Amino acid sequence: MIWRFIPFKQLNAFENMAIDEAIFRGNQRSDSPPTLRFYSWSPPAISLGYFQETWKEVNVEACRYYSVDIVRRPTGGKAVLHEHDVTYAVVAKENNPLFPADILGTYKVISGCIADALSELGIETEMASDGRASHDELLKAACFSSPSRYELLVTKRKICGSAQVRSRGVFLQHGSILLDFNPLKTCAVLLSHDGDREWQIKQLQESVTSIYEYTGPTVNVTTICHVLKKSFEKKLGVELVEGGLTPEEEVLKTRLLSDKYMTDRWNMEGKGTNYGY
Amino acid sequence: MKVFPDDLLYNREHAWVRVEGELATIGLTDYAQENLGEILAIELPEVDAYVERDEPFGTIESAKGVFELLSPVSGEVISVNEDILDDIGIINSDPHDTGWMIVVGMKDLEELDDLLDSREYHDFVLKEAEGD
Repeated sequence: MIWRFIPFKQLNAFENMAIDEAIFRGNQRSDSPPTLRFYSWSPPAISLGYFQETWKEVNVEACRYYSVDIVRRPTGGKAVLHEHDVTYAVVAKENNPLFPADILGTYKVISGCIADALSELGIETEMASDGRASHDELLKAACFSSPSRYELLVTKRKICGSAQVRSRGVFLQHGSILLDFNPLKTCAVLLSHDGDREWQIKQLQESVTSIYEYTGPTVNVTTICHVLKKSFEKKLGVELVEGGLTPEEEVLKTRLLSDKYMTDRWNMEGKGTNYGY
Repeated sequence: MKVFPDDLLYNREHAWVRVEGELATIGLTDYAQENLGEILAIELPEVDAYVERDEPFGTIESAKGVFELLSPVSGEVISVNEDILDDIGIINSDPHDTGWMIVVGMKDLEELDDLLDSREYHDFVLKEAEGD
């Protein structure tokens, strides 16, 4: 089976989300192939889950201070600070034989691909067996503070978080694999400062880890993406063929960018929805 | 396998419809709510909004992800179930009755011909579950 592979690129938050949704909608119209894409975020950004309330989860002033963009994802889950990470997007039909119809099974298959890649880098992971309650209300907004089933842990600390959206028989799964983790900045931009900040930082340090913590910063992103790509190919038994967006997806991306992902209505108010694309 | 009420019609996206004249009450099937697990959030259209058949009329989130709800019929939204906005757990606990989501004034009754009856929907979900 041949999949499209869109190689690693660093883009801004709004473009990243518009591209992923264009691929997702393209698959719903059945003319786009199953796709794997890797990317990072420049400038750094917070991505919020579809239903999260921006003003309750994000310190908007701190984001302005640090020049951190804020974008709302089409997928669910919690807020993520994307500064030192590799993000992946997988888009495929729900009835793709590589994935079980059971939704959690899809997380398990994709986590398996990432676990093998991390193992290649010398990092042994385990899959979270069950959702773990976050230690504190203030920590609940942060995605990495609470692993869900089949998310990847290294010695009980989360290294990769993921989230999905499904519609019309197609799923889009997002995941963020941490290269490095900065609990101070995460607390500054994501969490309320009403609580005991030192305690919050300590909790994040205890529940989150990153690739560099084990490999050091010498492993570059190109190497990590190469290992990830090989792992997806081997585990899924697919051939990943490099490609870009189709002309239809390009049109859709441009529309999504201007009408949705670059608007405060969507990113700050959560209005504008996923509809009409 | 679950029993699906005979007085409802179903689409392949796991929405049910109760038809009374030109009014269609729409909700999510018991099979779907069980597969999604605990529903955490919902977004529904406002009264007077227009929904299109096979287009999203709402979005829900469970611990497993975000899911668009596709409308089985086209028409104007006459009513929205405020109770589930206040207590979202009703969708899980009573999906075929008090967990209804919206009432639509149907534009084209012939759209109902494309929906499944309870036996057809039962066979459909059986096949889908076998795909696991």
